[in-house]
Amino acid sequence: MTLETTGLSKAFGGVTALDGASVSFHQGEVNALIGPNGSGKTTYFNCVTGMIKPDGGTVSYQGRDLTGKAPHRIARAGIGRTFQLCRTFPRMTALENVLSAVPPTGLIGGLRSARGRAEIERAMGWLTRLGIEHLAGSEARDLSWGQQKLLELAGVLMAEPETVLLDEPAGGVNPALLDRIGVLIRELNAEGRTFVIVEHNMDLVMSISDHIVVFDRGRPIAEGPPSQIRTDERVLGAYLGV
Amino acid sequence: MPSGSKVLKLAAVALLAVAVLAFPSIAPNPYILSAGVLVVYYAVLATSWNFVGGFTGYISLGHGALAGLGAYSTGILVAKAGLPPFLALAAAGAFVGLLAVPIGLAALRVRGASFVIVSISLVLILLLVFQSWSSVTGGSRGLVVPRPFQLTRPEHHRIFYFLFAGLLALAVLAWWLIDRSRFGLGLKSIREDEDKAEALGTATYAYKLIVFVVSAVFTALAGGLYALWFGDLDPVFQFSILTGSYLVLMALLGGVRQLFGPVVGALIVGIALEFFKVEYGDTPLHLVATGLLLALVVLFMPDGVLPAIADLIKRFGRSDRTSIREVSAAELREQRLQNAGGTK
Ligand SMILES: Nc1ncnc2c1ncn2[C@@H]1O[C@H](COP(=O)(O)OP(=O)(O)O)[C@@H](O)[C@H]1O
Ligand SMILES: [Mg+2]
Repeated sequence: MTLETTGLSKAFGGVTALDGASVSFHQGEVNALIGPNGSGKTTYFNCVTGMIKPDGGTVSYQGRDLTGKAPHRIARAGIGRTFQLCRTFPRMTALENVLSAVPPTGLIGGLRSARGRAEIERAMGWLTRLGIEHLAGSEARDLSWGQQKLLELAGVLMAEPETVLLDEPAGGVNPALLDRIGVLIRELNAEGRTFVIVEHNMDLVMSISDHIVVFDRGRPIAEGPPSQIRTDERVLGAYLGV
Repeated sequence: MPSGSKVLKLAAVALLAVAVLAFPSIAPNPYILSAGVLVVYYAVLATSWNFVGGFTGYISLGHGALAGLGAYSTGILVAKAGLPPFLALAAAGAFVGLLAVPIGLAALRVRGASFVIVSISLVLILLLVFQSWSSVTGGSRGLVVPRPFQLTRPEHHRIFYFLFAGLLALAVLAWWLIDRSRFGLGLKSIREDEDKAEALGTATYAYKLIVFVVSAVFTALAGGLYALWFGDLDPVFQFSILTGSYLVLMALLGGVRQLFGPVVGALIVGIALEFFKVEYGDTPLHLVATGLLLALVVLFMPDGVLPAIADLIKRFGRSDRTSIREVSAAELREQRLQNAGGTK
């Protein structure tokens, strides 16, 4: 009853990005997905969220088959994600960025004002929680890299996903922000959200994860709690190339 | 409590409305009046185009064909089926709206330059169809549409001027409604980053399709009204890529993010076109001029004249603020470069 894939595979031309990846993540926990560059982590996220159609295999979430579904349907099923290269809507304000994360359903809902009081309050709540409420009126393109990463996360959280996939949340952020992101993930997890985090910063991974899955060449080669992964020979081999 | 800028905006809109309504009374002769009709017709088309172009960022060069479909549908329903003119107009709007569903389903699958090319091919296909299907369309000899009113020429222009102005008001109102709505925010997120919008749960394909249909209906109504006004349809003019290009130029020139951007653009380009026609006749010269102008706008005023003017006013108003903004933008760029280096 969680996010699960069986035999997920994807090739780009001659490059095998995913090679029959069967993974099952733990509900309610902070899961980490680690592996060397090019081991297929981002492609895995893209297949799970419907951004890329897998060549084979299945994706299921809480018992529902999500294989090949449109990304917006998967998002509405409760899976939110961030992108490795941080995607925000550059020429929208930070507030509008967060507001656009709750798409309306139905015609009447669609014609309601985009600036409903309740939504604005909720959006400002997330901006405040991530410490960027003072930037609500600034366009996303004017924000620093770290602020954009926080903004992207605020948008994803606005949709209240049960499961959040983060692709390198610590990539390119300064040490102070890194700590804050770590604390935030633990807090959000304590409130009941499941996380799957792709991350290269091992200190962060080891300190916040409950469960780690290690990828190499498009498939999992090990999984377990941090204490076990730290000493796993196959993992060391994949990383150090021995 | 309306803010100062809101009052200013309302005043500007009121002024524009008064100017539009007063024009027929101050037009010195029927020729100028008919040029006015043409400009308002362009304003409706450009505003209709901007439902797709402005909100979603999809640049269609095919809207001329949607107008042509509206014109021919109206014309055929009046001339061949004997329907009352304005019933025919409404039916044509509904028909093109329905037809826009399969067209949109096909065209909106592709993005960027591919979409532009698909939209061009729509025009070419329809041109061929309407030229060869001459028993119904009149072929290259054209289709004569009976006038709806028995009036003198100036009166005829006057009435149609107000009909077009009414349609323009409707289109502007609809654009405004969508602009401030949650649906509109979703459309704008498609313009910004379509995949990201999908990932956030926006049904982008459905969104694009809905707004394409709305755009097509307004475009077709404008085309239909044109048929009733002009009274003579020729496939070469109705299904021309040039019309579509003019609309793009108008919208971009005025500003696609502005409610009145396409109207302002239509005013400038429409008047320029008429001027060219009078001065130089129907030469390919205005094609060159259009292309040049389009390039200049895209290069130097990517947001159009309206925002450029607003910027200018702001710059004079508080020069100190802009300079701070520029400094911080430079800092940001540097910071980003460092960050980009840091992720490696
Ligand atoms: N869109 C794409 N087109 C072609 N090759 C791709 C594409 N996306 C990923 N790849 C390739 O697939 C492999 C896995 O990439 P990726 O999933 O980004 O790995 P990771 O995120 O683990 O670094 C790499 O060899 C990469 O070059
Ligand atoms: Mg990656």
